[in-house]
Amino acid sequence: MPFQTLKKDTAQELSLEWVLHIKNYKLNLDKNRCAGCQICSLACPKEAIRIEKRHKAQGEKAQKAKVDIDLSKCNFCGICDILCPYGAISVTVDGKHLLSVLDKESFPQMIRDIKATASKFPMDRDKSEDVCPMELIKVHFSTADGKPVEDPGSLNESERRALKVDVEVDKEHCPCCGICEAKLPQSAMHVRKLLSGKLAIKSEKCPPECTDCLDVCPINGVLYLSDDDKKVHANEMFCVYCGACKVVCPVDEALSFKRTRVNHTPVRSGAWNKALERLTSPTDLTKELKAKGSLKTRESVKKRIGLKGEQHA
Amino acid sequence: MPRGTRKNVGTPRKERKPGQKKAGPKAEGPRIGVFVCQCGSNIASIVDVDALTKYAQTLPNVVYAENMNYPCSRQGQDEIVVTVKKNKLDRVVVAGCSPRLYEPTFQSCVSRAELNPWLFEMANIREFASYCHQTTPEEATEKAKDTVRMAVAKARLLQPLKPIELPVTKKVMVIGGGIAGINAALDLADMGFKVYMVEKTETIGGYMALLDKTFPTLDCSICIEGPKMVDVGRHPNIEIISYADVLKVEGYVGNFKVKIRKNPRYVIAANCTGCGECRDACPIEYPNYADMYLGVRKAISIPFDQAVPLTHTINRDYCIECYKCVDACGAREAINFDQKPEEIEVNVGAIVVTIGYGMYDPKDLAWTGYGRFSNVFTALEFERLILAAGPTGGKIIRASDGQKPHSVAFIQCVGSRDINKFEYCSSFCCMYTLKHAVMLKEKYREAIEVYVFYNDMRSNFKGYEEFFNRAQKSGVKFVRVKLENRRITEDPQTKNLTVFGENEDGKPVSAEAEMVVLANAAIPSQAASELAKILNIPLGKDGFFVECQPKIRPTDTEVPGIFLAGACQGLKDIPYSVAQGSAAAAQAACVLSKGSWTVEPLVAKVNEELCSGCRVCESACGYHAINVEKVGDKSVAKVVEGLCRGCGICSSSCPMDAVTMPNYSDIQIVAQIQAAMERKLKKT
Repeated sequence: MPFQTLKKDTAQELSLEWVLHIKNYKLNLDKNRCAGCQICSLACPKEAIRIEKRHKAQGEKAQKAKVDIDLSKCNFCGICDILCPYGAISVTVDGKHLLSVLDKESFPQMIRDIKATASKFPMDRDKSEDVCPMELIKVHFSTADGKPVEDPGSLNESERRALKVDVEVDKEHCPCCGICEAKLPQSAMHVRKLLSGKLAIKSEKCPPECTDCLDVCPINGVLYLSDDDKKVHANEMFCVYCGACKVVCPVDEALSFKRTRVNHTPVRSGAWNKALERLTSPTDLTKELKAKGSLKTRESVKKRIGLKGEQHA
Repeated sequence: MPRGTRKNVGTPRKERKPGQKKAGPKAEGPRIGVFVCQCGSNIASIVDVDALTKYAQTLPNVVYAENMNYPCSRQGQDEIVVTVKKNKLDRVVVAGCSPRLYEPTFQSCVSRAELNPWLFEMANIREFASYCHQTTPEEATEKAKDTVRMAVAKARLLQPLKPIELPVTKKVMVIGGGIAGINAALDLADMGFKVYMVEKTETIGGYMALLDKTFPTLDCSICIEGPKMVDVGRHPNIEIISYADVLKVEGYVGNFKVKIRKNPRYVIAANCTGCGECRDACPIEYPNYADMYLGVRKAISIPFDQAVPLTHTINRDYCIECYKCVDACGAREAINFDQKPEEIEVNVGAIVVTIGYGMYDPKDLAWTGYGRFSNVFTALEFERLILAAGPTGGKIIRASDGQKPHSVAFIQCVGSRDINKFEYCSSFCCMYTLKHAVMLKEKYREAIEVYVFYNDMRSNFKGYEEFFNRAQKSGVKFVRVKLENRRITEDPQTKNLTVFGENEDGKPVSAEAEMVVLANAAIPSQAASELAKILNIPLGKDGFFVECQPKIRPTDTEVPGIFLAGACQGLKDIPYSVAQGSAAAAQAACVLSKGSWTVEPLVAKVNEELCSGCRVCESACGYHAINVEKVGDKSVAKVVEGLCRGCGICSSSCPMDAVTMPNYSDIQIVAQIQAAMERKLKKT
C-alpha cells in the first residue's frame, strides 16, 4: 500500500491523516469545541492552518470563523493541539495521544492550574455543575458506604452533610475562564488563567446593533449587551484571551485585544519563541526571554570568557 | 564524426567547366589515384569492377586506377601507400563502402604515404550501388561510375587541411552516484584523474543501496555496495557534490564548464560527524523516501545508515525550528539554519552521465488495485519490507492487519511490455521477482505459498537460468498468463486478494493470495529530459538517453566528451551497469589521458568581412557552436570549433555567403553536382 494522505471535512469534525505502512498520524479538529479563535493558526510553525471569517447575512447572528488545515503543509507536530485553549484539536500517532514535541521538550506543556476542593462544593448538583459555561465540571455524590446519590436535594439536611463529594474537572478542554471560582463558594475552585492579556471594547466605535463578538464568544459572561446603550461591553475578569471576538469584529478600532502571557512549563525552544511572539508580541517575548534568560546569559558569558582564557593559556 | 552537408544550390556561380579541365594537360592538374574495392563479393558480384576501373582511368586528372580486394586490409593499405608514392599521386579516391565506417582508416593510410589526410575522398559504391541494385547489375555499374565520377570531381578540388587541437582539462564529472556512477568514478580516480561526482539526493548509492539482496547470488546488496560508496567518499581524487543540481553545461570536449547548485542541507558538512545526536533530539518525523514511504525519518537525519557522505540534512518542509538539534550538536556547531543555495562552477574535460532510472507508479493501472487494496505492494516496497534494516525490521506484514501473509502472488510486467504504457521490457523484474520468490520460499518453506504470474521468464545472463531452476525446485508456483485481461480483486472482509488471468489457451486461471507484489515498470529518471537539454544530448522515444551507436559505441553520446553508463541509457541490471560504468570510464580516459583532443578540421569558417552579424546562423546552429560577438564596432559570427559538428546548416542559411565549410565549399559541391548530371546531359 503506498503512503496515503487523507482529509475528511464534515459538519462535526475536520480530520487529517498520514497512513504509512508502519505508522499512522492523525489530526482531529472537533468543530463543536472550536471557537474559531486563531490561536492554532498563529502558532502553527508550518503556516498550515487558515482561519476564514464566514459571511454574515444581514440580521443574522455572526458565526465563528472556520478553520481549515492544509494537508500538504501539516507535519502532525501537535503544536495546535497543545495550544488550543478549548482542547478542540487532538493529534495522535498510532491512536496514542503522545506528542513528540512535548517529549523532546521542543514545545512547552500548557499549564492549566485548576484545583477543585470537593469539600467546599455545595451539596447541589445543579448549583455545582451549571456554573461552568463549558459544562466541564462533574460532581459525584455518594453515601458513606459508597452508594451513589443522584439527587442530594431529595435528602434531609443531616443525610446531605454526611455525603461524600467527588469533583471531576475535564481539564483538557478547560480554557480557564475562572467563572466557577467566582460563582462557587469560596475556595471550592481555584483557577489560574492559561492566557493573560487585555481586552477592551470602545462602544462608541461599534457599528449600530452589532453583536458579532458576543455571538461568537464561547464563554457566557465575558461579553454582555448593555440595556443602557444597546452595545456590547466586556467583563474582562472571565476572558480567556482566545481572540475569537477579534477575528469577527468588523471594525478594527472597536475592539482592542492582545495577549501578553501564556502559562506554560519552562522550555528552551525556537519553535516556542516563535509561537509566543506571534501569539503575544515581540515585547512580551523579550520579557519572557529576559526572565528565563538571566541565568542562561550569565552561563554563556562565563563560557565565552572561559574559552578566551583557555586560548590565552 | 558525422559528415556530409546539404547545400541549396541556386544558380551555380561561374567557374571552370568540367570540359575545360579535361582539355588541360594532365601533368599540370592534380594527380588522382582511384582504388576500386571488390569487397569480397559484396561489390564485385553486382558491379562490374573491371569496367568501373577502366572507366575511372578515363576521367580527367586520374593518373592511376586499379581494383583490389579489401583495400581496407593491412595488405590493401600497404599497396595504396606504395602506389601513391610510386605514381606521385596527390589525391586518392577509394570506391568502396561507407565513409562513416572507413574514412578514418583510409585517411590514416594516405597520411602514411605522406599525403594530407583531407586529400582523400570516398565513393560509396556498396551501399549506393551494389547493395541497393542487386537485381540490376548493369544499372548498378552505371551508378557506381556516376558515384566515382562525382568523387573524382570533388577530389580534384580538395584542399589540404590541418587538424584542430583542443586543450584538455584533466578532470572529469560523473553525474549520478548510483552503482554505474560509482564504478566510473572509482576507475577514473584510480587512473589518476580528478573526479567530481554530482548527486541529486543526499547520498550516493542509488537504487542498489535500497535493495535487500542481489540476484542470482543473494548477496546482501548494501554489503557489496557500501564499501564502494565509502571508497568514493574517501578517495583523494573524488569530490562528492551531493544534494546538488546540474544547472548548465557550456563548452566542448576537453573543456566543459559546468554550473552546479549545491542545495542547502542546513548542516555544515565539514563539521558534521554523522553521530546522529541531532536526530535523536528532533521531535518531527516525515515519510522516508528511502523506505518507499513505508516508514519515517526525522526532520534532521540521513536517509539510511550507510549514507555517503554521512552528513545530516534538515528538511525545512517539516522542521519546526525548535533548535533542539542545535543544542544537541553543541560545540561541533554543524547546524546552520542560514545556509543558502550555493552555485559553483567546475571545469572538466569529460562528463559521464549515470543518472539511472525511476519507478512507474501503478496507481493509474486500475486493474492492479494498487492504492485501493491495502495488501497490494510494489516490488520496491516489498524490498524494504524484507530488508532487516527496513521500516518493519525485516518482517513481512500486511497493511490491513499487520499479519504475516500465508500466500504471496507476484505479478510481472505491470506497465512494461504494454504498448499503451511502456512498450519496452524493464529487463530486471523477472530476476528480482525470482529473488523475492526464492527468499520467501526458502525462509518459510511450506508455511507460505508463492505464485508468480508471468508472461515470459527472461533469465538470459550468467547464472540466471540456474536461478530460475532453483526457484522452480523451491516450490514456487509459476502461472503463465497473457498480459491482457489480468485483474485483481479484494475480499472486503479478509482483505485477501484474488489474481485473475488467462492462460495461453485463453482459459481463465486464478489464485487467492494474502499479499500481491507488482513488478512495476522501471521508467526514465525524472531528471532525464531536463539534463538532456542541459547537455544537448538526445533522448530516445522511450525517454532514455540515446547512445551514439548501439552496437559498437554504446557508451558514447552524439556529443564528444559526454558518455553514458547504467540504466539511464537503457534498463539494465547491476552487473551490466557496473561493466558499463567502467566502460564509460575508459572512454572518458581516452579523452583525458591526452594533452590535447584532435578535432577534424571540417568546421565552419566565417569570412568576417562578409558577415553582417545578422545572427541567422547563430539561431540555426543546433549545437550552440556559433556566437555573434562584437569585433571593434562590427558584430561578427564566431565559431566555437570544439562544438561545431560540421553539419553546414550555418553555411547554407547564411544570406551573405560568409560561412564556408572546408572541403564542402560551394565550388566543390557544385562540381560534384555537375559531374552527377554530366552523363544525363550527354544523353539528351
